[in-house]
Amino acid sequence: MNPSASGAWQRTSPFAIAFFIGRTVRSLTRNIVQLIATFGALAVLIERNPQVALAIPAGVLAIVAAGVLRYWFFRFRVDEDRIHIRQGIARRTALDLPFDRVQGINVERSLLDRILGLVTVGLDTAGSAAVEGQLPSVTSELADDLRTRIRAHQPTGEAAEGGVGDGRVAPSERVARPPSAPAESLGQVVHQLSPGDIVRIGLANRNLVVAAAVLGLFGQSMDFAEDRLRPTFESASEAFVGASGLVQALAVVSLVLAGLAIVLSGAFLRYHGFTLWREGAAYRTRAGLLTQREVVVETRRVQQLSLSHNLVMRLLRRHRLRALPAATLPGQGGDAQGVHVAEVLEVPLLRGPEAEDLRTRLFGREGRGLSLLPQTAGFRRVSPHYVRALTLRISSTMALVSLPFLVAVLMAPAEPLPGGVVGGVVLGALLVWLASIPVAALIAWVRWRRQGYLHDDDGLASRSGFLGRRVDAFLFRKAQDVAVSQSPLQARKGLATLRVQLACGKVVVPYLELGVASRLRDYALYRVESSQRRWH
Amino acid sequence: MFSNPEVPHESLPGTDDLDWHPLHQRFVRRLQLGAVVRVLVIGAVSFAAHLLATGGDSAALGLLVDRLLPAAVAGLGFFATLTIVWPVIAVPRRGYVVRENDILYRTGVLWRSVVAVPFNRVQHTKVDSGLLDRRFGLANLSVFPAGAEGHKIRGLGADTAERLRVYVSERIEAEATEPGDELDSPSPDAAPTPVHP
Repeated sequence: MNPSASGAWQRTSPFAIAFFIGRTVRSLTRNIVQLIATFGALAVLIERNPQVALAIPAGVLAIVAAGVLRYWFFRFRVDEDRIHIRQGIARRTALDLPFDRVQGINVERSLLDRILGLVTVGLDTAGSAAVEGQLPSVTSELADDLRTRIRAHQPTGEAAEGGVGDGRVAPSERVARPPSAPAESLGQVVHQLSPGDIVRIGLANRNLVVAAAVLGLFGQSMDFAEDRLRPTFESASEAFVGASGLVQALAVVSLVLAGLAIVLSGAFLRYHGFTLWREGAAYRTRAGLLTQREVVVETRRVQQLSLSHNLVMRLLRRHRLRALPAATLPGQGGDAQGVHVAEVLEVPLLRGPEAEDLRTRLFGREGRGLSLLPQTAGFRRVSPHYVRALTLRISSTMALVSLPFLVAVLMAPAEPLPGGVVGGVVLGALLVWLASIPVAALIAWVRWRRQGYLHDDDGLASRSGFLGRRVDAFLFRKAQDVAVSQSPLQARKGLATLRVQLACGKVVVPYLELGVASRLRDYALYRVESSQRRWH
Repeated sequence: MFSNPEVPHESLPGTDDLDWHPLHQRFVRRLQLGAVVRVLVIGAVSFAAHLLATGGDSAALGLLVDRLLPAAVAGLGFFATLTIVWPVIAVPRRGYVVRENDILYRTGVLWRSVVAVPFNRVQHTKVDSGLLDRRFGLANLSVFPAGAEGHKIRGLGADTAERLRVYVSERIEAEATEPGDELDSPSPDAAPTPVHP
């Protein structure tokens, strides 16, 4: 696999078989319902005829054989200005990918890859060809060579500029260094996560919070659980209920600890050794304990920055930053079906000032008046009529969702219920719904307090949230289209909602004054239409 | 030398005093016919389903006619009236404006919206027409920006749609080849502190 041997068809390393097997298994497990149905049917069949059990090793063998065949039929050829990839067993596909279409190279290294000094290269085209543009288990030299060639073919001539930042991921890519190794050779380190930070990420895991809440309820409602769980978990449940308070407490504590261990190890697997560094006009992140993932996003391709934190992160005074690149490239796909979300540059944990520093780096000289921090004083509130509209929306949604349940309750008994009972149930439900309106109003009020917007001459930041908070910021000149809309209530009050479509999604600012919304739209259009700069 | 003087917000072209182009007159009739066809199909299908479900049992059918049919007919009638009357209200409130640098489209009777798509962000365009559209000599124009579903302007005259498509395509071409597109892009996009000396 000599990188200089361009023009010749080559195979990847045989270790790519593991990659192909993994891909097959992943595609099988993606359709989980089908999988469960298959295994269920298999279990029934095995019960009737034990010989059917042979199907399991046969299936495993078939998956391995498919992996070997896929490896055998996978060939690629690197030319001066493009790469050809041919693959597939029955359905052959041939991909012809010009280098100037490639947005970036993302590198992933499984544990096996790292031991052997190999890398799996993903050519980020942000088109539908994303899955085909993967080269599993190739040498780091080939990855470097590809990177150099792609740089040389970038349309705006970053080749000259990119090289200066020492973008070539030279030495440390070739040898599987431990991720904690200094990354000076990869450019200027901008951000790193310590083990303490990764523990914080684990603690802020949404699932952990939900699980703790559920467990709290579970601990208090053992009577209910005893009735429900008896058939399946009879012994465990009985042992649990029969045990003394101390043992119960111990069991709950150990469950919490187990949950904690799971989320913490998950966080370490994903974010261990997280490093963000700058190379030329691009930013690169690398993280992972076993499988190491690298994401590279060029500054000018960033469409939107999103800073968010949930309740736990807020208490820890930390944020999460995501830089979203365009989801599609011109001339590729374009129809909504073909939309592929490109690799997102994510910094899972950082402080406010660090986030602001990254914003100025990624937005460059533009958007200096913006802020990603939700507590910034410059954020303006939207109209208080938003509370009313949101209360109405929440209450009517609740009514619509609970109506079928009510009907089901009334229709369930075999004998028709006497009119009095029906009336009572309906009245009760109505009272409960009426009582829930103040709760909905409270939720709406909190959300209104979170909602806000801030803009300068270059861009806009929109704040939203309920328990957590989130700020989405973008530059006006990167907008794709702009819409101003009015509901009947908004029309009566002279208000409107501004929707700015970006190449990575939508940013919405609700309940602005119509004049403000229209002016913002006209100004955004002016910035888009007068801009001569590439937006992607 | 490239210059970029600031533009006061008040002087920006707004959308208040625009001359909105209406959709084609025949579009109302096309929507009404579409609604009639839909109602007939739904009615026929549900009647057939009932026949199948009752197995042509006249007693059951009689019961059904007694109980359900009036309500169903009333519901269907209301639906039909609404879908036939609605286009008369809704179509005049839709419209579009083609400006030098963008295209605007407005819709909605109760929930109103105006969307503006700049030509230098349009990825591609499409004109399509269904069976009914062709019967009335109409066509739909779609413009697709990046990362979004396209915006479809329905109910244009077939000629108008094609002329608009050609115009938008030419504008896209013009934007793509305008000088300066490549010139100033790399450096201002780079981070504020370049590493190279």
